[in-house]
Amino acid sequence: MRRIRVLRAAGLFGLLALAAPSGALPLAAQDPHAGHDMHAGHALSGGWLMPPMDPNMPMLPGLDGAVPPATAWLPHFDLDLSDFPLAEPSRAVTLAHGDTLELLVSPVRRTIRGREYLMYGYNNQYPGPFIRAERGSTVVIRVRNEIRFPTTVHWHGIRLDSRFDGVPGLSQPPIEPGESFTYEVHVPDAGMFWYHPHVREDIQQDLGLYGNLLVIPADGGEGEPVHREELLALDDLLMTEAGDLIPYGLETPVNALMGRYGTVMLANGVADHRIEADRGEVIRFHLTNVANARPFNVRFGEERIKLIGTDVGAYERESWVSSVPISPAERYTVDVRFSQAGTVAITNTIQAVDHFRGVFYPHVDTLAIVTVREAPATPDRAGAFEELRVRDDVVREIDAYREHFDREPDHRITTLLRVNDLPSAIVLSMEADTFYVQPIEWNDSMPMMNWLSSGTQVTWILEDEGTGERNEGIHWSFRQGDVVKIRVFNEPRGFHPMQHPIHIHGQRFLVVARDGIPQENLAWKDTAVVPVGSTMDLLVEMSNPGDWMMHCHIAEHLSAGMHFHFRVEGREGR
Amino acid sequence: MGLHLALVAAAFLAAWTPVPAADPAPSPRVDVGVIGWSQGADDGALCSPAVDPPEYYAIPLVPTRQVMGTGQAVGVAHTTFGSSPFGVTLAADGSYRLTLHIRVDHLPSPPQGRFVAWATTPSVEEVVRVGTLDGAGAVSGPVEWNKFLVVITLEPDGEEGETGWRGPIVLRGMSRSGMMHTMAGHGPFEQQECAAFGY
Repeated sequence: MRRIRVLRAAGLFGLLALAAPSGALPLAAQDPHAGHDMHAGHALSGGWLMPPMDPNMPMLPGLDGAVPPATAWLPHFDLDLSDFPLAEPSRAVTLAHGDTLELLVSPVRRTIRGREYLMYGYNNQYPGPFIRAERGSTVVIRVRNEIRFPTTVHWHGIRLDSRFDGVPGLSQPPIEPGESFTYEVHVPDAGMFWYHPHVREDIQQDLGLYGNLLVIPADGGEGEPVHREELLALDDLLMTEAGDLIPYGLETPVNALMGRYGTVMLANGVADHRIEADRGEVIRFHLTNVANARPFNVRFGEERIKLIGTDVGAYERESWVSSVPISPAERYTVDVRFSQAGTVAITNTIQAVDHFRGVFYPHVDTLAIVTVREAPATPDRAGAFEELRVRDDVVREIDAYREHFDREPDHRITTLLRVNDLPSAIVLSMEADTFYVQPIEWNDSMPMMNWLSSGTQVTWILEDEGTGERNEGIHWSFRQGDVVKIRVFNEPRGFHPMQHPIHIHGQRFLVVARDGIPQENLAWKDTAVVPVGSTMDLLVEMSNPGDWMMHCHIAEHLSAGMHFHFRVEGREGR
Repeated sequence: MGLHLALVAAAFLAAWTPVPAADPAPSPRVDVGVIGWSQGADDGALCSPAVDPPEYYAIPLVPTRQVMGTGQAVGVAHTTFGSSPFGVTLAADGSYRLTLHIRVDHLPSPPQGRFVAWATTPSVEEVVRVGTLDGAGAVSGPVEWNKFLVVITLEPDGEEGETGWRGPIVLRGMSRSGMMHTMAGHGPFEQQECAAFGY
């Protein structure tokens, strides 16, 4: 878009009367921050700590000292930090067909920004072990649970046997504390997958229970025009300004309206992730958003980004992108060539919203730093990096589904929100606030209102337009081999609508249209975001028999009801 | 600038063949003009673009009545995300990269000049030309701001430039984000003095 910078005189047919102020102006001398207890750093009642707020924003009237209607909980409330080992960075493990990996779920000691925290880990690592397996193989993962909560492991995006999908009460009983469960993970698709609990993700995943599983083609994926690969698991943690973790709700999640947006950004579990590269080195980054709720918009300084693939494999065509918007649970694979010596900041670059002032403002978080050495990378891959390839194999595979792209949806889902018993000040604020809701909430612009909302007061809803049924009242049934079109509409006129990253278990899908516009460059996915006010058409290949879940992957929305089950009958009655 | 625009507007007003005073309800059609202008659907309803854009973010375009004969014009600008492999499309600074789908009905055909759509920042410091309305009163083009105005102007033939509009404004509207307003002085923050926050 060519922008023209001009300064126009006032009085253009009253046009300026339409113009609203576009930037925050200096505050008058007053103390609008009175009552923000996080500055004092002391605990509120019940052990709660209040999340940081913009110090220039006044306290919501009548809510001084208010705490969420749940029991505050953090691991160190029950346990002594010194009793647990210091966690180590993730290690790679390659599993051949039939190999077994023991996976321990336990409390671990983590160091973040120089301070120790009691968190959770798989095999005492952050993130969990990086598992590599060959496409078509089956690996065995024996999980032992040593945390206080029941847990499971969900193998996100993998079309495996539903008995090992990790949904408690649907595919398996939860793994109680002290117990074990053995997963047989068959991996039919190449791609970057991940694993995480499916019990109180808002706590367990947020405290560090996540890891990646890379499924490589049978030929090993050799011949790719990159020097090496890097994983980037993007996360955030919610802390006070003094560095204290904000407690979780023990019986029910808090931050139920927007989900738990953190204040400290993490890449691969640390706040100061560093990568070294040679000049001209081409690195393939596998990005995974493991945050509870936050979407990231990832940039690699001014370096060009070549988009290669997403959740369940490659795009039809490689393409240049200026950034990578990635919602919770999504994965993207990109190649980046570090063209000059120096440092490159990998950032989350967004236009945040200040709802109190009613303005957008630019905001940048540094996620990692790449130090590029003067020494040139060998071999020189600049030529190959410039080439955008067409993946004929992906195009051919998708060709078989194009006849379904334009047909009417088989099912229509609308996303909604219902609330009850929220403090009236919050309701009033949000009703006024929702004159405008942006398509994607890139930041938590209302941290106190969000924090005070719990899963008992907030119900996020997936409503079947055909039947009027909601959440677990929905019962869909398909036959193996069905190709099903699902239209998801994010209703914008409710009480504080929000984007939803929709995840479908056990199957793969194509996003064939958004807002009625056919999508041009497709790839198989398992999670896709529907912005506020938008429609998203998913073409789902019901290839995998069993009982499966469809849900929003914002952890607090899932806990607040936003999920349902469907069944795929096997061709042989499986 | 103001004087110049006023002169331009006066020239157009003098040359204008006004549309007969309107009873828009029974017949929204007007004469086809020199640029082959025609109106939209028989029922007078605005046509949507060939997509299904979010109605929530639709931008009503309101006539300024600064140009004779355009007072009955009705317009809307829909937004969709620009083509992208992601669910949303963002500019380098994180702003939404949108496609504007503008449609105006009940515009008479001007005896000279053409209707041009522009987008501009609320402070009118930056302007982007979206394009010339076609015979159906439609045009599409990109915009990379989160909060912006949409302006339809009547540009004289041969004077339409890339540096911003010169002709009179016929319709204008604001992105839905323009409704986002400070909470100071309102609702639960009624006791907060707006001026203390710079508004």
